Amino acid sequence: MTGNQIIGQILSGVSRGMMLFLISSGLTLIFSVMNILNFAHASFWLLGAYFTWTFWKILYSPIFGLWASIPLAALTIGAIGWIIEVILIRRIYDRTLTEQLLLTYALVLIIGDLIKLTWGVADRIVPKPKMLSGLVNVFGSPFPVYYILVISLAGFVALGLWWLLYKTRFGRRVKASVFSREMVGALGIPIHRIYTGVFVLSLIIAGLAGGVQAPISSVTLGMDMSIIVECFCVMVIGGFGSLIGALVGSLIVSLVYAFAIMVVPKMALVLIFIVTAIVLIIRPWGIFGTAMRT
Amino acid sequence: MGDIWYSDEDLSNMMKTNSFRLYLWFALIFGGSIVLPLVVGVFWIHVLTEILILGLFAMSFNLLFGYMGQLSFGQAAYYGLGAYATAMMITKTSIPFPLCIIASILIAGICALIFGYFCVRLVGIYFAILTMAFGQLVYYIIFQWYEFTGGDNGIQGIPCPMLLRNAYSYYYFALIIVTIAIILMWRIINSSFGYTMRAIRDNCNRTRFIGINVEKHMLINFVIAGMFAGLAGSLWAPFNRSVSPDLANWTHSGIPVFMTIMGGPSNFFGPLIGSVVYTILFTSVIGFTEYWPLIMGTIIILMVLFFRGGIVEIFNKKTGQIDMNGSRKEGIFIQNGLRDSATNKGAE
Amino acid sequence: MMHMRGLDRVLVIGLFLSLLLLPFPVKGAEPYNLGVVLEFTGTGALYSRHSYQGIELAVEEINKEGGFLGKHPIKLFSRDSQSKPDVGVREAKDLILREKVKGIIGTQSSNIALAVEEVCYEYKIIHVIANSNAEAMTVSNYSPYTYQIVPNTYMQATATAVSIAKNVKSKGWKTYDTIGSNYEYPHSTINTVVEHLKKTSPEFKLAKQYWPKLGETEFSAYVTSIIGDKPDFVYACVPGSDGFALFRQGNSYGLFKNVFYASGATFLTEMMEMKDELPRGIVTVLRAPFFANMNNPMMANLVKKYQAKFNQYPDDFVPMQYDAVYVLKQAIEKAGSIEPENVKNAMKGMTVNTTRGSLSFRKIDNMVNCPSYTGIIADDPKYPFPILRDMVVVSGEESWRPESEVLQLRDKADLSKKRRPEELKF
Repeated sequence: MTGNQIIGQILSGVSRGMMLFLISSGLTLIFSVMNILNFAHASFWLLGAYFTWTFWKILYSPIFGLWASIPLAALTIGAIGWIIEVILIRRIYDRTLTEQLLLTYALVLIIGDLIKLTWGVADRIVPKPKMLSGLVNVFGSPFPVYYILVISLAGFVALGLWWLLYKTRFGRRVKASVFSREMVGALGIPIHRIYTGVFVLSLIIAGLAGGVQAPISSVTLGMDMSIIVECFCVMVIGGFGSLIGALVGSLIVSLVYAFAIMVVPKMALVLIFIVTAIVLIIRPWGIFGTAMRT
Repeated sequence: MGDIWYSDEDLSNMMKTNSFRLYLWFALIFGGSIVLPLVVGVFWIHVLTEILILGLFAMSFNLLFGYMGQLSFGQAAYYGLGAYATAMMITKTSIPFPLCIIASILIAGICALIFGYFCVRLVGIYFAILTMAFGQLVYYIIFQWYEFTGGDNGIQGIPCPMLLRNAYSYYYFALIIVTIAIILMWRIINSSFGYTMRAIRDNCNRTRFIGINVEKHMLINFVIAGMFAGLAGSLWAPFNRSVSPDLANWTHSGIPVFMTIMGGPSNFFGPLIGSVVYTILFTSVIGFTEYWPLIMGTIIILMVLFFRGGIVEIFNKKTGQIDMNGSRKEGIFIQNGLRDSATNKGAE
Repeated sequence: MMHMRGLDRVLVIGLFLSLLLLPFPVKGAEPYNLGVVLEFTGTGALYSRHSYQGIELAVEEINKEGGFLGKHPIKLFSRDSQSKPDVGVREAKDLILREKVKGIIGTQSSNIALAVEEVCYEYKIIHVIANSNAEAMTVSNYSPYTYQIVPNTYMQATATAVSIAKNVKSKGWKTYDTIGSNYEYPHSTINTVVEHLKKTSPEFKLAKQYWPKLGETEFSAYVTSIIGDKPDFVYACVPGSDGFALFRQGNSYGLFKNVFYASGATFLTEMMEMKDELPRGIVTVLRAPFFANMNNPMMANLVKKYQAKFNQYPDDFVPMQYDAVYVLKQAIEKAGSIEPENVKNAMKGMTVNTTRGSLSFRKIDNMVNCPSYTGIIADDPKYPFPILRDMVVVSGEESWRPESEVLQLRDKADLSKKRRPEELKF
């Protein structure tokens, strides 16, 4: 195990962690504001990747292709999220945990099959833009330039969300509605618009993450199933409903995985669940969660 | 008291006046299950056997969900362990089949004991996710331990014991075992232990105040549920002649959840009815389309939004019973402010 | 007072509905119901959809002449195993019990083929494997109803190992890594290569083995770890969409510039689909490349018809699936009947005409003596995708496991527990 190898694993762990954060941040946002665990979040992420491919195919411009496709896809997912929030999610705010989980689980199944119907079963490949296809040397370890984009995007999203929640009126309202829906409603603030706004925002981030993922591996069916479980682990470790928890949790999960591959390759996957179980046993509300959050 | 289930008074009334009806129905169904195979084709015998095994699996889940009030998204771990234990014992050793089943039940039970010890200290969403995490742990261990479990290959060509190799024989065998299991479950649910469970479900704190060790009882229930799931799994392995790690995956845990919700968790036979509907629906649909998840997802959404309480409640005549808050009793999914299943141990 | 409660109504309705389960009599012509179980979704999907086209083409041609024996039109039933053995078992059972198929072609992934093999053995249905090639299917898990027409992992790995051993000597390599998806096919292939290298080049050290899970999309951590190991050579067996991801991420990190790379799972399919993204200069093994067999009339005909219908060249799997249907046809003609028992007896040790020439089944394992094609991926002006240069064709007889070893492996795997004794005598 050389120094270079360690740096290499840290780098790949961090870039993977940032991607995981992009997905988990939306999940955390929805949960903290609306107390709904959106099983289908990774499915929207996958949908974003597929839409990115479609837009890329339509635009087919070697210079602008990807740069335009990703935001377009993100906005499309946001629009879809708006429709789903109004038609479905709105009805389950008052329901029990089981019903909420079941409904979002049903969405996973439906979105999965709709993707299959629309795009078929073939892998979709989106090439990286030439500008981002190179390698740089980071402390002696090769590091693909594209992952710098991923990391910066994640940082941008993190800062943006922080600014939104702590520095704007919208953010104050959102935080208030977490504590007391009734009071916010009583103050005449349209709570439903806040909920819709948050849901759409989360899905835009998910779509963005999907678009950014597309050039990394091929876009295939079923990617969402394994990612969503990892996201749950992130939420557990970082703390439900905490954005900084999502960031830290994502990094922990990805770094553990990266180092496990190097040291105990067979146990890598198992290790993540062991860590998750340990956190749930010792400190169920995670590193940054608070006990009163349910 | 905000009890949305049948109150104890109702229950004992029901037991007295309706026990005759209950036994009549039970006899009819049991008789039907014996006679039915004689008129349907071999293909449907397989389907009926599957209904029985998955129904048992779903009923084990309902011990935790309907009667204890906690959602477990990792019940498939014990099912998968039971299946793998039986599969490995049959293929790699010469242990006689009945002993394999018993050993599988014990293995599933021990695992439920270990995992359950931690799970019962949590409630609501934490309980759900911890059960799911343990479930995935089992799944990935089976998946990655290629040398021992065959990993992603699973174990194929499991030799079924000679006497049961015929589809009909296995069906009757499963029928007998599942019937015994159901009778056992009925006895457990209607014992004082069962009533303690219901008390824990309805109001954990009060149950604690009257001196009951809540965690211990929940753990016992968890182990019992795990053992029944392990039994279902051990019936599955020789029937299907094949096991694969997916049996323990979280998506497989979703099947008893779906069946129970569909059938109605407030009724003892709800999960079994859910199993009948699900399996027949599934078998019919995949005969002509591959888009089963789309159909299943749509049904789930319709059930959750419009048909809360499951099939049994759909057909239930409105009983006209009013609870303390003045609203009519419906299915289990009502939140009446006094009790929230997500914070069962929370303040009143 | 007995009013109907919910449960009662459900039970009454249920009893009525159960009447629907009564079987209805079916009048019959006698089509030949042919089942196909392939992985249309999941990791194996990449190869399966082209495979199915090959089968469809063959069935079309045969049905034009009236079907098998001129009087049994072929009816195709295809099912998706979703790259899961459990589902494969259920679909195979469904095909056999509900659709009453007389033969099953499939599957793509070896773990599912093993599962389907057992189902076909139990219900005594012919099983022709044209894609999956883990050796277990014909050696340690042999079934008298299963016939394999694709070079198995032992044959392919042997073909590769021979060329690697040459390089070890000439280039003075010291260490190597392996990376393979964690299921039967890569395990089988990689283990065989490692065994061979141990024998031929004992001083060549195996430094590390990586087994990413099937369905992995994130290989960065593996790639960086391999680069850190600084091996002279990497042997990889990561098929399907996983392989795509590995190539793309490996490219990002420059993996292929620094190490010599051989793949046991890069086929003409990848070469045609990935085009520029596929690194040139890596060694691979193909099974049925059309460009190596254009002088065979059956292959030439297939290429022509395939191009006319689908507007592209057939990949590595199409010819074998096409062959599968024709092998069935030839066996049925030899048997003079479509009943699985007769067909199975006719197929034993039979010589068949395929797109790769005239091949024969070996009696001990129902394996056909087909060649493996190794070479280096390089561009060719004739085709819009890279093909092989420096191609070496290794025949079946040169590369398959000797019969004595076959019997030894079966003993070790206790095959006699699963099969009747008369089926294991040769």
